[in-house]
Amino acid sequence: MSSSRDAILAKIHRNRPGGPALPDIHAVPFITFDDKFAAFAGLIRNLGGEAIWLADGQSVADVVAQRWPKTGRTVDLTTMQHEEVFTPHDWHDVDVAIVPGELAVAENAAVWISHPDNIFRSLYFLTEKLVMVVPKDKLVDTMRDAYGQITLREHGFGAFISGSSRTADIEQSLVMGAHGAMAALVIFC
Amino acid sequence: MKADNIHHPDAARAFLTDRARASWHDQAIWFVRQKRDVQAKQLPEWEELRKLAEQIKAHTLSKLDDYLIQFEENARRNGVTVHFAADAAEHNRIVHQLLAARQVKKLVKSKSMLTEECGLNPYLEERGIEVIDTDLGERIVQLRHEPPSHIVMPAIHLKKEQISELFHEELGTEAGNNDPTYLTHAARANLRQHFLSADAGLTGVNFAIAETGGVVVCTNEGNADLGTALPPLHIASMGIEKIIPKLEHLGVFTRLLARSAIGSPVTTYTSHFHRARPGGEMHIVIVDNGRSDILGNPDFYASLRCIRCGACMNTCPVYRRSSGHSYSYVIPGPIGSTLGPSRDIKKHGSMAFACTTCGSCSNVCPVKINLHEQLILQRKRAFDAGTLKPAKKMGLLAMRFLTQHPALMDAGGKAMRKVVPILPAFVKDGTAWSRPGRDLPEMPEHSFKELYRRRQEDKQ
Repeated sequence: MSSSRDAILAKIHRNRPGGPALPDIHAVPFITFDDKFAAFAGLIRNLGGEAIWLADGQSVADVVAQRWPKTGRTVDLTTMQHEEVFTPHDWHDVDVAIVPGELAVAENAAVWISHPDNIFRSLYFLTEKLVMVVPKDKLVDTMRDAYGQITLREHGFGAFISGSSRTADIEQSLVMGAHGAMAALVIFC
Repeated sequence: MKADNIHHPDAARAFLTDRARASWHDQAIWFVRQKRDVQAKQLPEWEELRKLAEQIKAHTLSKLDDYLIQFEENARRNGVTVHFAADAAEHNRIVHQLLAARQVKKLVKSKSMLTEECGLNPYLEERGIEVIDTDLGERIVQLRHEPPSHIVMPAIHLKKEQISELFHEELGTEAGNNDPTYLTHAARANLRQHFLSADAGLTGVNFAIAETGGVVVCTNEGNADLGTALPPLHIASMGIEKIIPKLEHLGVFTRLLARSAIGSPVTTYTSHFHRARPGGEMHIVIVDNGRSDILGNPDFYASLRCIRCGACMNTCPVYRRSSGHSYSYVIPGPIGSTLGPSRDIKKHGSMAFACTTCGSCSNVCPVKINLHEQLILQRKRAFDAGTLKPAKKMGLLAMRFLTQHPALMDAGGKAMRKVVPILPAFVKDGTAWSRPGRDLPEMPEHSFKELYRRRQEDKQ
């Protein structure tokens, strides 16, 4: 095994072409948005999701209850005392998962999810409905800004999630709910 | 896996016998190209982004061994086991050993053109392991026992009626229900059970970050995430060229990938894997399989910048009108038509000619690979390797002779302009000019040379 490694690396070293220096990706101006929330909310509507700017006196629970009056098993990772499970499969019948998002990206409606207190990330993908809760001041313009701020907090895992799971593999018809969440709700609070 | 003897023009001719179907295929894929344009135009920095992506990739290739070593060290530090495979056989052996040692009976896979290239599925199936492709399009072609026809949209060659029939037989869906939502959700329910009962998950890799030792996988369906979050073993297979130096470079590539691929601002899931889930283990298999040879070829090494978005296919007038199954190499379209011939010119020579040299592929490529120029160079290799059919070879030799003898060329042109308009129809029978959609051009009265000369005289 190691002999393959050394042979491959030696051959790459022999064959590698010349190339430019690494460019400074911050030297180029990228798009900015006057109203980042409007951009985010407009995009996510077409991606199987919805974005809400929490009003004074309103709670995340209110919004969720309003959106889905009848829900099944609900797991809320935004609270200190949340349910724990022993295997990643135990989340298989979750209906609503409420999870904290570190930041949101205006250009593509993505939210960065990497939670230090969550053991099994399967929750994000097994749940029927995914609610991502993001601080209002954590909305950035582009992925370049996002990568400057994110941290991998969850066992080396983190994901940008933009809207709900979808596919267009059958005749290019867009269908929501391929394997992951069928609906996504992003609440800025 | 693809048959060994596919010859592009023959296969394309067969595909084109169903004109309505071929026209649908053309339009469905052109629609994706247009969605890409809409996304690109929304970003004033689009061309700058392409330039940055090109430079990052070109730089990485120039120090590829250094970055691979850095990646390996950081991945090991994270607790991930890194393997190197010189070729497809070694890759398959490593994967099988990992699975066999853990008594894995069922493997769920997310999209990976590399494992397609290596023929991993049949290798594992022969050894008693059940392999489930979980991307909806890949699952469809797996159930049909055929290769994907597109690297991003594997089942784009199929109509919903065919998928409905397939699912009726394989998954027990209602006969005649062709609704894409119904069919997708039936596959979802079926594959959910496979995810929950799998012993291991295998993913491809979109980007491998040298700085952090992690890999990034992008999907819209979430299948890579379920396949790695549930079973205790995650294997990620990647080609050596997937490396990028730093995490921040994803701020360039994630902006380009989905916009170029499907005309979406980003994929639903852009997942970063640096360790196994708690209680699990993670392995990364880094595969050469001919890539280091391409790296050493000054004409073709730029093809290793490819991020597998498929934009070159969606724009290609030949791909859209011939479908991925007409190409002999596992990756079709313009990028496949340089990678395939680089790998084996004798087997894939005909792919170099599946090109009008219009250059549209090079114009949409997010990492600015000079695709159409590479295809012209691959044609030369195909000619030199003797892969051309006799008629094509004779035609090219005759053309070479003519272009080297201007007087003869002039006389020939003059004769053609006189003779072609009075040719009786039956002469064209059985030639390319008798096929639907093709006709001989109207003959002008004068050649370009004559017109040019007259213009020069008029000026004086």
